[in-house]
Amino acid sequence: MDTRELKQLNGSEFKELVKCGALNLRANYQEVDNLNVFPVPDGDTGTNMCRTIESGVVNIENKNENNIGKIGKDLSKGMLMGARGNSGVILSQIFRGICKGLATYETVGAIELGEAFKTGVKQAYEAVVTPVEGTILTVFREATEYACANINETSTINEFFELHLKQALISLKNTKELLPVLKEADVIDSGGCGYCYIVKGIVKYLDGEEVVGNLEVEANKTTSNEIDFDAFTANDVLKFGYCTEFILRLQNSKVDIPSFDENIIIDYLQHSKVKGDSIVCLKDEDVIKVHVHTKNPGLVLTKMREYGEFLTIKIENMALQHNEITEEEEKIPHKKFAIVAVASGEGLANQFKEFGVDQIVSGNNTMNPSTEDFISAYKKINADHIFVFPNNKNIILAAKQSAQLYKAAEIHVIETKTIPQCYSALTMIDFSIDDVDQIIESINESFANVTSGEVTYSIRDCTINNVDIHKDDYMAIVNGQIVASVNDKIQILKSLLDSIEDIKEKQVIVLIFGSDVTDVEKEKSIELITSNYPWIEVGSFDGGQSVYSYFIDIE
Amino acid sequence: MNKFAIIGDSTCDLTGELRAKYNIEYARMSVTLGNDVDAKEIYADLDWPEISPKEYYDLMRNGTRMRTAQVTEQEFDRVFIPHLEKGEDVIYISCSSALSASVKLAIKLNNEKYSKKYPNARLIIVDSLISCIGQGMLCIEAAKLREEGKSVDEVSSWLEENKLTCNQVATLETLEYLKRAGRVKATKAFFGNLFGVKPMLISDAKGNNYAIEKQKGRRNGLLRTISMTKEVVINPENQIAYLVHSDANPEDVELVRSKLIDECHFKEVYIAPLGPIIGATTGPGTLAVFCFGKKVEVVSAE
Repeated sequence: MDTRELKQLNGSEFKELVKCGALNLRANYQEVDNLNVFPVPDGDTGTNMCRTIESGVVNIENKNENNIGKIGKDLSKGMLMGARGNSGVILSQIFRGICKGLATYETVGAIELGEAFKTGVKQAYEAVVTPVEGTILTVFREATEYACANINETSTINEFFELHLKQALISLKNTKELLPVLKEADVIDSGGCGYCYIVKGIVKYLDGEEVVGNLEVEANKTTSNEIDFDAFTANDVLKFGYCTEFILRLQNSKVDIPSFDENIIIDYLQHSKVKGDSIVCLKDEDVIKVHVHTKNPGLVLTKMREYGEFLTIKIENMALQHNEITEEEEKIPHKKFAIVAVASGEGLANQFKEFGVDQIVSGNNTMNPSTEDFISAYKKINADHIFVFPNNKNIILAAKQSAQLYKAAEIHVIETKTIPQCYSALTMIDFSIDDVDQIIESINESFANVTSGEVTYSIRDCTINNVDIHKDDYMAIVNGQIVASVNDKIQILKSLLDSIEDIKEKQVIVLIFGSDVTDVEKEKSIELITSNYPWIEVGSFDGGQSVYSYFIDIE
Repeated sequence: MNKFAIIGDSTCDLTGELRAKYNIEYARMSVTLGNDVDAKEIYADLDWPEISPKEYYDLMRNGTRMRTAQVTEQEFDRVFIPHLEKGEDVIYISCSSALSASVKLAIKLNNEKYSKKYPNARLIIVDSLISCIGQGMLCIEAAKLREEGKSVDEVSSWLEENKLTCNQVATLETLEYLKRAGRVKATKAFFGNLFGVKPMLISDAKGNNYAIEKQKGRRNGLLRTISMTKEVVINPENQIAYLVHSDANPEDVELVRSKLIDECHFKEVYIAPLGPIIGATTGPGTLAVFCFGKKVEVVSAE
């Protein structure tokens, strides 16, 4: 194929470029996932970045728009909402900045594009509280600076991206020299690598190569949208009716479109046998959008054809979408303080709910929740203040991004990096203080002294912190550091606890068992603690989490 | 003229020694040990003749349920009538009405029976709005005033005016027993399975045992007992701190005792077992400090 030589970049070409970038990352995301510094089975940078850029692409894919500024706006919005994981959030901020730079243009040349990329650099650095060099930030910044310095008025879009890619690859290699943790683990930065795959995809497209692959569009679907057919059985009685939505194209043959008054429809939906409620009816030239809850959708459909024909129809039994009902109609009782926590595993989720968590954002190790996942959780809450526990250092940024985007409540992100920190904070939380600042202070105090233990298995052979680790062996992680590795699920607990210098000062241990721990192992692990550390009070419960055999709260 | 009786009940935790010293009697509640077939009902006797505190709390540790019962009519008759018959007034300083219905029964009996049958003597009932040795301390103060020659009315009005200056600071091993007994007021903060979390329990102005805050770990619970006591006590140098516990670890008791002297500056610490009635609802390992200080406030909203 011939090179697509672009002097100017318009909206639809920009759309293609980003899509090809996304496709190329999707084709290589596992390699990016595997670049995790720690051999823990939750290397998810590639996955996170993929899902982030894909939710941007999904938001522009069907837009017939040639204006690059307008496309950029939709792309930016999609990525912000879909952002997950640190690299995902940073990627979304990079694109947000780029798109800000493009906002006023219909098309851009290489110079304007370069300026937009510089805005991207500024935006991304500002979004991160303490920018760390040797990451995607460095790769993107250096690549942008290099490309901008080497283009002139005659340069093409192709040249810009080639220069950008050339430096990005050099910078990527160099990340190892900038970040000691990368050097020790002998890997390059995963976020930077993911970014390079995106730019490679763009350059491939410009070179006329075909970028193949499928976007995982379902990335945007959250589990809460899954329909549970058991919610309406053969014996149930229709109580809520049908959520009925349609778009109607008014027909000249049937009505006088300009003078047609949508109140006729509203009136019909309200006062006829339809007995509809939650009615929304909007007229936009010859198109009418309707949302109504009724037990008689058939009547509505027949009647509407007196005015026009349907473009789309969606009818759902509301018993199957009770979430939506609670969101839309049942008045959620207002409270002053509410809690959102990230957790996976049914036991953990239930335990957290018992402690007063209002919404659990499901986050497992291969799927960090997106900005939008947080926002959907907030929407189900009616509160003045929402305290958010991300429980993973790779989720904190997405939580913070969601806090900036959500306006209906004040969101306070508590920077918990582990499940034990969250567990401990929740056991001590007390809203009777009634003062937000004091509550935040006491929450932060309550988990400051928590020692977080985690036990998982290694996905590769390696040596970290002078600990020799074999693939599939258990690893003990204390406050984020790997401290021991053995192949016995009980012994690893002993190694973990022995590594804690001030274990003599500790008073309480709570073991949160993963789904892989058997009853016998549970007994043995508790017995191990009571016999080796008799001064410590031990509690335990089934968290049901995968990948992590134990979360351990040590205080 | 100045001869009147001071009577507490089973929750006042006064040892035989203190009761003899201050001439205080008490009406017994009762407790049923265990369930169903094995169940055995005994008086909640503060001299522990049938079962030692250690044995009693060990039974609880091993899962034996203790069901408590208020003072009965016969028991009130037993302690009140001998005095009333002689024309002697009686001050009954009862367990907090928020914790036991004994005081209600006493009022009812007084209205319907004692006041009619014994018109020459008065039964004055003071709802102590506290329990444990805090209730006992009020008995002791009343006895001291009696000794000074104060009249029964002077003593009872002193009690009404000053009873809320008696402060309780308790730390529990767990909130489970209290939850089970339904004898605690707590905020939502106490929901859930709180491993290692130690509730701090005060007696509020309505006489509720109120779980006011949480501490993580036993040691923090013990230390908080000291710091909370410091916050409420007035004039510690001139008073005895009373410490009761339900078979708590001796080291824990000693830690608190020594800090009450060294850090709170009490002139003395008196240690007694926590009686079987309140002990049944707070569980083994409870450690409570009582002293006179600031007037306690209402905590629970309802």
